[in-house]
Amino acid sequence: MKEFLLITPEIFLALTLAFVIAGEITYYGEQVRLITATALLGLGGAFIQTLISYEHGAAQIFGGALSIDGFSLFFKLFFIVLASFAIATVSHSKEIAEARRSEYCALILASTLAMCLIASVADLALAFLSLLLLNVISHFLAAYGKKSILSTEAAVKSMAFGAVAAALFLYAAAILFATTHSLNIYEIHKVLLTKPLDPQVLLVVFVLLLVSLSYQIGAFPAYMVVPDVLEGAPTPVSAFLSLGPRAAGFAFMTRVLVAVFTQPASSAGHWEILGQFDWTKMLSVVAGLSMGIGSLLAFRQNRAKRLVSYLVVAESGFLLIGLLVLDEVGIAALLYSLVIQLFSLVGIFYVLSFLIDQLQADQLDRLRGAMRGAVPECICLVIFLFCLVGSPPTPGFIAKFSLIGAAIRHERSFLAIAGVFSMVVSSAAVARLVYRLIGDFGDLKEFAVLGSRRSPARKVLLATLLVPMVLAGVFAEFLFNWAGQSLGFIFW
Amino acid sequence: MNNHLISLTVLFPLIGAISQAFVPVPRSRWIALIASLAASACAVILVASMQTQTAEMQAIESFPWVGAYAISYEMAVDGLNALLVLLIAILFPVLISAEWNQQVGVRGLHSLLLVLQTALSGAVCAQDLFLQLFFWGLSALPFYFLVGIWGGEGREKAAFRSTVAATVGNALIFIALIIVYYSIDPHGFSIRELSGGKFAGQHFHFLGYDFQVSWVAFTLISFGLALRAPVWPLHGWFIEMATEGPSTVFVALAAATVPVATYIFLRICYCLFPDVLGTASRIVLAVGAVNLIMGGVCALSQRNLRSLLAYVCLSEVGIVMMGIGSLNATGVVGSVFQQLILGLALAGFGLFSGIISDRTGRSDFLNAQGQRTLGGIAVRAPAVSVVAGVVIVSLLGFPGFGGFVGHSLVVIGSFSVHPFTLFMSGGALLLASYYLFNMYRNVFLGSPGSAVQGFQDLTLRERFYMAPVVCGLLFFGLYPKPLIELIRPTVLTLLSTVR
Repeated sequence: MKEFLLITPEIFLALTLAFVIAGEITYYGEQVRLITATALLGLGGAFIQTLISYEHGAAQIFGGALSIDGFSLFFKLFFIVLASFAIATVSHSKEIAEARRSEYCALILASTLAMCLIASVADLALAFLSLLLLNVISHFLAAYGKKSILSTEAAVKSMAFGAVAAALFLYAAAILFATTHSLNIYEIHKVLLTKPLDPQVLLVVFVLLLVSLSYQIGAFPAYMVVPDVLEGAPTPVSAFLSLGPRAAGFAFMTRVLVAVFTQPASSAGHWEILGQFDWTKMLSVVAGLSMGIGSLLAFRQNRAKRLVSYLVVAESGFLLIGLLVLDEVGIAALLYSLVIQLFSLVGIFYVLSFLIDQLQADQLDRLRGAMRGAVPECICLVIFLFCLVGSPPTPGFIAKFSLIGAAIRHERSFLAIAGVFSMVVSSAAVARLVYRLIGDFGDLKEFAVLGSRRSPARKVLLATLLVPMVLAGVFAEFLFNWAGQSLGFIFW
Repeated sequence: MNNHLISLTVLFPLIGAISQAFVPVPRSRWIALIASLAASACAVILVASMQTQTAEMQAIESFPWVGAYAISYEMAVDGLNALLVLLIAILFPVLISAEWNQQVGVRGLHSLLLVLQTALSGAVCAQDLFLQLFFWGLSALPFYFLVGIWGGEGREKAAFRSTVAATVGNALIFIALIIVYYSIDPHGFSIRELSGGKFAGQHFHFLGYDFQVSWVAFTLISFGLALRAPVWPLHGWFIEMATEGPSTVFVALAAATVPVATYIFLRICYCLFPDVLGTASRIVLAVGAVNLIMGGVCALSQRNLRSLLAYVCLSEVGIVMMGIGSLNATGVVGSVFQQLILGLALAGFGLFSGIISDRTGRSDFLNAQGQRTLGGIAVRAPAVSVVAGVVIVSLLGFPGFGGFVGHSLVVIGSFSVHPFTLFMSGGALLLASYYLFNMYRNVFLGSPGSAVQGFQDLTLRERFYMAPVVCGLLFFGLYPKPLIELIRPTVLTLLSTVR
């Protein structure tokens, strides 16, 4: 029974999904629809249940297939909040018609369920199924702008890359299973401790896993699909896809890499590589290339969504730094950075969605002077953008400092330099976008209100994104402590 | 003593800025002014209550912010920053009053000025390097909007260039901070704990070479700050800001942000890298002297009040840097004092030139053929010409005005290091006398030109906001003793660590 108690957030999500689907099936033209409210209530319930789960402590359930611990609970809260924002923000979007929002809610809930499972998963077979479920829903979501060629292209590319990534993951899992006779990551670790893998086999397994998961986290070498998907998908979906599958990928990658390929070091809170093969060097190259390529290509873009998409690639590189240093402080920095990205990326895509609805375009030239008609939205967009790239004094700066600091602490100077370089180039890319937004602000003759004054709800939603983001900077200590505590009671 | 006056000085403008979003015009203007004045009142009480004859930090407020990285909210005042607290307290209510009748987005303009007041007050009082960079980074953001939205024809380019310069500058400081942070064990950012030459002899290994922490961090911070203050030849963006930005915004940049940048340089170099300063002081002195002369030479050819102000600022920064590089109590005290005076004098210059360009629609005083475009304002507006006169003579360092004390102390101090600085200062003074009096002659004297027909003298509101600037220049020039007594003990203590 306790096993079911520990997965009450997932049960809540599944029930909410069922209610939403039932509501859609039984819809008979009623004027008032409660789909969004139902979904938000269900997510609220799941959020509370997750908080309550902290009291139960860490546990392995269903024969070790799931690990319910601080790490998984952290990500569950993250995914639930993300899903709530994804559902709340879509109500102001014209890209997803009102009639199709219930389907959208159902897809978001289903993917949240998949992501929550990925956060806890400790079994490679279940991990494969959960990742596949998440990715299939992501393909649907990417294709949600049916009439848009870009959206269709995004879905097809996403599906093609996803299929290859899934196959590579299966190969890696198969090799691990063949050598250790187990699919449970903790069991695999125990076997590897007594009977280490041949370094060449380990290299193959690691490369397969890395290439497969690079698709999930949007990093080099599979970064090419990220801008196409995020640009092609309807903008509210872009917000969700830029965070959800990526964060799920980081959750799984962290658990698998630390649990399987490392062992606790002599100093507490540190790990060291298991065996002869130093895979952190390979991860450093991936992180450095992701940061460099992401920021440089972001600087060259002429479309706002594509620009932000490349920034997302660069951010994935930053997050990898937190993982590859193999200590709790680094992983806590990764978690903190994800929280900051949650608010900033949702905020960026929310404002971009509003601007695209109004202007029917996201080319930088077409956004010229948009600020004159939507002052609060554009100011928030600027703050979110600078926070994402880590410009001081935004909370993103604390996140970047903690990640770059982690690289320096572990004497990875090149990575630190790549990080600072990426920060500067990303800031310049953001400045290009902001430069266009300001445009001819002072020209009162052409003052055009883009509907900003007519929607107090939009301002409230922006405040619910901006205020927690600022508070995440003010109470950074609390967040780092929470991340640290989440890592404190965990199965590695 | 933990009386929270510093936090109130930082917080009041922020509250005022946020409240601008909720309060309609015209009440928002009063809210902005009250918030700024409240912060200023706290700042004045703070400085007035400071003990003289002590080098100790005062009104310390300290609590952990991000304990995992030893980042703390540590604020305090001493002789080095007290004058800048005073300068910011004087300037920002003046700037808000000067933009009282702004027609386009007055709430946004006031809120950005208030954010700037918060950022600069925080950067001045912060005694934690991370916190200082936090506030210093915040101070760059409002300028982007202030110039980009309310600027002239080329505002977008000016805003973009200033942001790129600020971003690169902040990144360089950020790298220096990380190097400093990890060079010392236990890691930390507290200036108090890092000061006293703890980095002397510290090295770090990179690309197979050993680098000295002090030199690398000092160089990065110097370049980082040079991109935020006008230092020749990195001053291109600054001149563009002067010509494209609204006059009040440029005053906020030249009269408030630039002195704060020089203060941060002084604080970090003297506290953290006294070992480097022994050698680097001559470089600082030379850069200051070059700035002084280049500012003067470039100012000679200016025909526009705004660009003239920018080059005057360049020249004044040169004086402050010469004082910092003198490594001499007299010179450094003069440099700290001059930060306050240059702020007030440049604010006065920017405000009267703003009034002139608002009323005549032009800021050039000579056309392409070298003929007067203004002229004769003294007849129409005696109050404006008196204000301009006071500002100019203070910039020239006439006895009885603030500039005299600052300039004299810096020249006396730097002369002991290298007599050549005396010739440089003398040359710069001659140049300044020519271009400033030439400007005054062309703008205020002679017969009124067509552009100044119907030129109105200072209104009551303008007299009110000009008064603190003019009175400050006169008062601090006639009676600098309390301020000098406040600065001197701190400077002597810092110099003792350098030696």
